Amino acid sequence: MKNSWKIILLLSLVVIMALFAGGLGNDPRDIPSPLVNKPASDFTAPTLKGNGNISLSDYKGKWVLVNFWGSWCISCVAEHPYLLELARIADKRDDFLIIGVDFRDTREGANRFLQRHGDPGYKHAFDPKQKIAIDWGVYGAPESYLVDPTGMIRLKHTGPLYFGWFEKIALPQIQGTNSGGKT
Amino acid sequence: MGKHDMRRYLNLIILFAILFLTASPLSATTKNEDPSEALVRTIAKDLRCAVCQNQSIYESNSDLAKDMLEVIRDKVNAGESEASIRDYFFQRYGDYIYLKPTKSGMNMLLWFGPAFGLIIGALALITAFKKWKKNSIKTATPTTDTDKKMQARIDEELKNIDV
Repeated sequence: MKNSWKIILLLSLVVIMALFAGGLGNDPRDIPSPLVNKPASDFTAPTLKGNGNISLSDYKGKWVLVNFWGSWCISCVAEHPYLLELARIADKRDDFLIIGVDFRDTREGANRFLQRHGDPGYKHAFDPKQKIAIDWGVYGAPESYLVDPTGMIRLKHTGPLYFGWFEKIALPQIQGTNSGGKT
Repeated sequence: MGKHDMRRYLNLIILFAILFLTASPLSATTKNEDPSEALVRTIAKDLRCAVCQNQSIYESNSDLAKDMLEVIRDKVNAGESEASIRDYFFQRYGDYIYLKPTKSGMNMLLWFGPAFGLIIGALALITAFKKWKKNSIKTATPTTDTDKKMQARIDEELKNIDV
């Protein structure tokens, strides 16, 4: 009897310690998206430049990186040089392209951002009321989704994309050697 | 002050107390509210503002929460049910979006784990107290022969001490 209580006490302590240890490794901002491996929600929105509309479904048949950003977002400034590089990579490939979604922003602010930090050249949807962002389960900026040619979301990246991301994370997906998830 | 005056004062105090207790602030009235807004509020109070840890969409002042509230309002006005609106956010943000965890799966541990732990703890305490009580009675009265001998010797020595 005496020993069984000691064992129970020890076991509960071990369980509590294990839960703490597991919890310490978690990033509270890194919440897994339930949208991975689900069909991406299509959108049609005016372009940032104001010359017509842009729809995700226009790009079916290609891998699309949907990058959510805003001129108010400081991490987006850090990410921008890589997006310029990634746009050059996309230009060389016929199976991959990028769409920006500028959300909770003003046209003037966003265009000033692109003038200042460089325009990667791809199209941006303008989403001032963040309807698309909420529809895509976005928490903040930057967040990026990789959508496959059939229109399924294959992975989500929270935070700035980094140099080498395409080769390390996206390319295995495109070449079909990875089953997806978050990065 | 006469007895009559006292009663009058007492009545006045009671009257003010009743007025005070039944009064409601002017701004608290909701009778002119659009009925759909009540539903918007019910839904928004149960959903977590995704960027502010522990505030509901309804209470938060963050831009995301305000725009989420707008999405809820649009959906309510379009005639969508409460369940389908909750599900819309669940599909996009996962069960993190619910301020109260749903009573299913591993979440049951959150709901009933603490109560279970409390019962186990109480049982353990009761057993421990019982054991301590038994032990303390044991040490208070000498039972064996050696104890008695030792007690006699102690008494003897105490008597012989010069004070």
